[in-house]
Order: sequence, then C-alpha cells, then structure tokens
Amino acid sequence: MLGAAQVLSFTTLIMMFFGAIAGIIAAAIPGFTVTMAIVLTLPLTFSMDPLQGISVMLSVYVGGYTGGLISAALLGIPGTPSSVATTFDAFPMARNGEPGRALSLGVWASFFGTLISTAVLIVAAPPLATFAVRLGPWEYFSLIVFALTIVASLVGDSLQRGLIAALIGLAIATIGTDPMMGRPRFDMGLELLAAGLPFLVVLIGIFAISQLASEVEDARAIKTGEKLVSGTIEFKTWAVMREVLMRPVNLIRSSLIGVGIGALPGAGGSIANLVAYDQAKRSSKDPDSFGTGTADGVVASEAGNSATAGGGLIPLISLGIPGSAVDAILMASLMVHGISVGPRLIMDNADLVYGMFLAMAVSSLMMLVICVLSMRLFLRVAEVPKWVVVPVVMVCCVVGSFALNNRVTDLYLLAAVGLLGYGLKALDYPLAPLVLGVILGPIAETNLRRALMTENDWSLFVTRPVSLIFLIAAVASVAWAVRGILRRRKQRKLQKDTA
Amino acid sequence: MSQIDDFKPSQESGEIARLLSYVALLAASVGLFIEATTIPTSRFEALGAGAFPMLVHACLILLLVTAIIGSLRKLPAAAYGRFGAEAMGWLKARRLVLFLFLCLAVFVAGIPVIGYPVAAFLFLIVLQVTYAPKTRVTIGIAVLLALIFSFGLNWLFAEVFNVFLPRGL
Repeated sequence: MLGAAQVLSFTTLIMMFFGAIAGIIAAAIPGFTVTMAIVLTLPLTFSMDPLQGISVMLSVYVGGYTGGLISAALLGIPGTPSSVATTFDAFPMARNGEPGRALSLGVWASFFGTLISTAVLIVAAPPLATFAVRLGPWEYFSLIVFALTIVASLVGDSLQRGLIAALIGLAIATIGTDPMMGRPRFDMGLELLAAGLPFLVVLIGIFAISQLASEVEDARAIKTGEKLVSGTIEFKTWAVMREVLMRPVNLIRSSLIGVGIGALPGAGGSIANLVAYDQAKRSSKDPDSFGTGTADGVVASEAGNSATAGGGLIPLISLGIPGSAVDAILMASLMVHGISVGPRLIMDNADLVYGMFLAMAVSSLMMLVICVLSMRLFLRVAEVPKWVVVPVVMVCCVVGSFALNNRVTDLYLLAAVGLLGYGLKALDYPLAPLVLGVILGPIAETNLRRALMTENDWSLFVTRPVSLIFLIAAVASVAWAVRGILRRRKQRKLQKDTA
Repeated sequence: MSQIDDFKPSQESGEIARLLSYVALLAASVGLFIEATTIPTSRFEALGAGAFPMLVHACLILLLVTAIIGSLRKLPAAAYGRFGAEAMGWLKARRLVLFLFLCLAVFVAGIPVIGYPVAAFLFLIVLQVTYAPKTRVTIGIAVLLALIFSFGLNWLFAEVFNVFLPRGL
C-alpha cells in the first residue's frame, strides 16, 4: 500500500507523464532508442526516492516500446528494433489511406500487451525466472534455430531470395571481433569494420535509408508536393479498440510470447515482435493477407513487443539478472539508491516491487492517454510533403547513428548499408530476413560455441528436453511453411490452368 | 501515370540484374569462406572463430549456385542484348534516388571536415530545393527547416543531452 501511495502521488504521476512522452518521442525518431532515452533519464532520477525514480524510468520504457510504432506505421521505418514486424502491416495499412487505424491498432495492442505482461509478472515472476535461468547454451541455440525458421514467413514471393537475404544477415553479423575469443574477423584492416557492424546502424540503413530513397523514386510526384498519404485521414480510436478486443486469441498469444521471450536474458522485443507476427500468420485462416495491411499483423507485433517490457522485469526482480540493456540500467538505478537486487529483493522490498508492478500498469495507461490525445498531431506527419520528410528524417537517421557510439565511421557504414538495402529492395530481396539474420547471428554463434566449449558433445542438443522441444518446434515450423508454399503453388497452377 | 510507371524493365532484365547480384554475392562469399578457413582455432574450444562464418558462407554459396543455375535456365539468349539499354533507362528514371545517395555520401564525408551543423545545413538546403516545387514559400520553409535541423539540433544535443556532434577541423 505504501508503494501504491507513492506511485499514485501527484508529483510521481506528473513525472511519469513526462517520462512516457519522452519515451514515445525518442522511439518515434529513427536512430534514437529506448535505451538512449533511459540513459538520459537516469541522472535526473538520482535526487528522487527509489520508487519514484524507477517509476519514471518505467514510464520511459513503456512509452518507448510504443513510440517505435509511429514511424513504423507512417514512414515504414521501424523507430526501434522491436517494431520491425510492425512495418509489415501497419505501413501498408497507412498507405492504403488508413494511417489513423494503423496507429490506433498499434497503440491499443501495446496497451493490452503491457497490461497482460504486468499481470503475468505479478503472478508468475518467480517460477518463470527460475525456469529461464536454468536454460543453458544448448537451449538458447535451439531457441535461435526455432526463431530463424521465422524466415519462412518473411520471405515474400521467393523462398530462395528470402533464405539468401537471411544468410547475408548472418554473414554481416560475423564481421568484426569474434564474440567468444575477441579475434578479429573479416575487417580487411579497416578501422571501420574492426568493431563489427553495429546492429542499429544496419537496421537504420536497411529499413530507413532504403525506404526514404524509395519515396523519391517518382520525380514528377515529389516535385508536385506529393504527401506520404493522400486522401482524408480518419481517426476512430474507440472503434479500433473494439477491433483489437475482437481478436482475444491473437492478443493473448502474442502477449504471452512477448512475456516468455522477454524473460529470457539476451532475447527481447526485437525477437518477440517477429515471433508473435510469425505465429499470428501461421494460425490465421488467411495468411496471404499478412503483409498487405491486415489488423492481425499489427496487433500481434505490437502486443508482442510491448509485453517484453513486463517479461524483462521477471529475471530482474526475481533473480537480479537483467535481461537487456534497458533492464541493466533499471537495475543500476536501484543500486544507485542502495537497494541490492537479487532473489531477496521481493522479500526485503515488497513495497518497492509491488510499486513497480503498479507503475508498469499506470505507465501503460499514461501511454494510451498520451497517444490517443496526440494521435491527430502524429497523423499530421502523414500530411507533410515528401520533399520535407525525406531530407529531415535522413538527417535524424545520421544524427541517431552517430549518437549511438559517437563514431563518424558509423555514418559511412550507414550510407553503404542504405545503398545495399535499396539495391536489394530493387532486386526483390525481402529485407526482413536480413535483419533477422543480423539480430540472431551473434546469439546463435555465441551459444553454439559456448555449448561445445562446456561439453564437446553434439548429442546434448537433442538429449536435453527443452532443447529438443525447441528443435522439434523448428522442424515442425519449417514443415508447416513448406506445406503452405506448396499449397499456394498448387493453387496458382490450378488458377493458371483454368484461365 | 507516374514516371516510374512510364519505364518498367522487362521481367527478363530484372532476372539478369538478379543474376548479376547472385554472381557478385557468390564472389564475396567464396572470398570470405576462404578467409574464414585461415582464422586460427583456440585450443580452448571445439569450434574456432572461423567455424560459424564457414557454415554460413557454405550455405550461402550452395544457395547462390542453385540460384545462378535457375536464372541461367530461365533466361533466353536474346534477353542479354536488351539488358544494357533497359538498365540505363531504369537508372535514368531513378535519377533523384541516385542524387539522394550522392548527397548522403558527400554529407557524411563532409561532417568530419566542415562539422555537422554546416554539412547538415547544406545537405538539407540542396535536397529540399531540388525536390520541392519552386515557390518563395517552399524556399523559405526549406531554409527554416535546414536551420532548425542543423544548427538547432546541434545546440539541442550539446546543451540538453551533452552529446557533441562533430565540429569539423
């Protein structure tokens, strides 16, 4: 009760409100991340009470997971890595003249996703955390193998080009220092490549720069002041809320995927949104509609990534293990206030922990209120002419890429990767599998090598039960995807024959 | 009808462009595979630093060879003759995209020399003035936005976030 009173005090609520706004804005700008927003917030919380400080940071966290949706839907550029899958359907929906619906679907799905993850956090934190930390490198590697099978859902028209793109992503991830022994690889003696290709720079280059370049392809249209979305923009947030609630299975499944993946240290929103999207597509009666602007795709991706906020707190609160960079900063903020984080946290500081749970729920409510109130303002972005949007967003991408590591060489990489992304897009290679390869490559390699360093026995991947379950799921997932492809091919052949 | 719709290369030319991309990727992949074999293995682990890249590049090489064979079988000999002209037409239709990448390259190369504020100001002015309909209002908006997102953003990062964007030589 003491914790609840502190979170619900006027001062804390006001600070959380501004925190949520900061998180949303930071994540909405391509190149700026939730982590950066939280790092910048940390010093401001030093003078606050521990719970007040952590509540403000949680509001930035929750706001940040939703903010990425804005640029994903309106510009086709994921504001954060966790909103990659959001671009698949929210962007086509916005381009089809429904940007208000795309944003509202994402905001409501994020809200419900965060609430569901908070409920799971309260009920299942200790057992889930104990399970998550028992997983060894064998299970992690098998999980990544399973996650890689998502490629089959993201390939678009050609399975072959999709697989090539995923392997290019995995190859890009091997450039730079080897993750286990620190040995340099493929750096060609260039300082530019010595530290590897930073994932966020690749993400911004592949998605943002190539998308911005596509916007100026049509010289005549841009010179007549063409806008991002033409026509009247409608905004019916309550109708959309009902639309989201009409998809309870998708919403709950995606949220639980988000919680589960968020609870695994090292995983997180960037994987959760893709897995949730993939599962929604596989279980849909109309999988072909995914990628064309279907509501199910937006709901799955946004519920999945927002639910990782609660999931990430599970190992942090129960065991003192941060699951991601953002969780590590949250942990640091508790330690700054003299609170030791570990299994005894919930016993020694029950008010603080339950206050954090409440702060999560309050933050998601604030995010909802802010987004609903400011939606019309965000939607104005869609009405800005392309000749303004393209150069300005490109400058934001450059500044964001520089600010990640304060390295000018990252800017050269950004331009090169942007050109590569545009070239691949023009040649009909799907870009999502490439990004998936870049995300999963280092995790897969590290865990494979760690597993074999621990015990040089390949059979452990199939004799450890959880690892085996993931591998069976991966095989089933591939079989399911191949079945779908063969069925579509057969249908096309039949249509051709009848025509 | 848009300018892009005016010029659509044939499916065959698209396939040739993809074939060229497969060949370029294959060359890079073979080179990197060979380099990966030279990475020494630590005595403390079963798999060395080169094992995972070798696995990735081996799969990539296999796929690319399959893709090259598939493309070669699909393409009639006459298609190669039309490719040069169609590729030039494709590039010409996308001259604003090429200009964008050229400006981006000059912008990022210029940042360490003339500093972020001046480089960003010039980049924004040049691109906006090139793309915008030519009226006094649009030029005014372009100058204002260029000032905000170059000198303004530089000030914001330095004063509020303590992040110092490059100042130049």
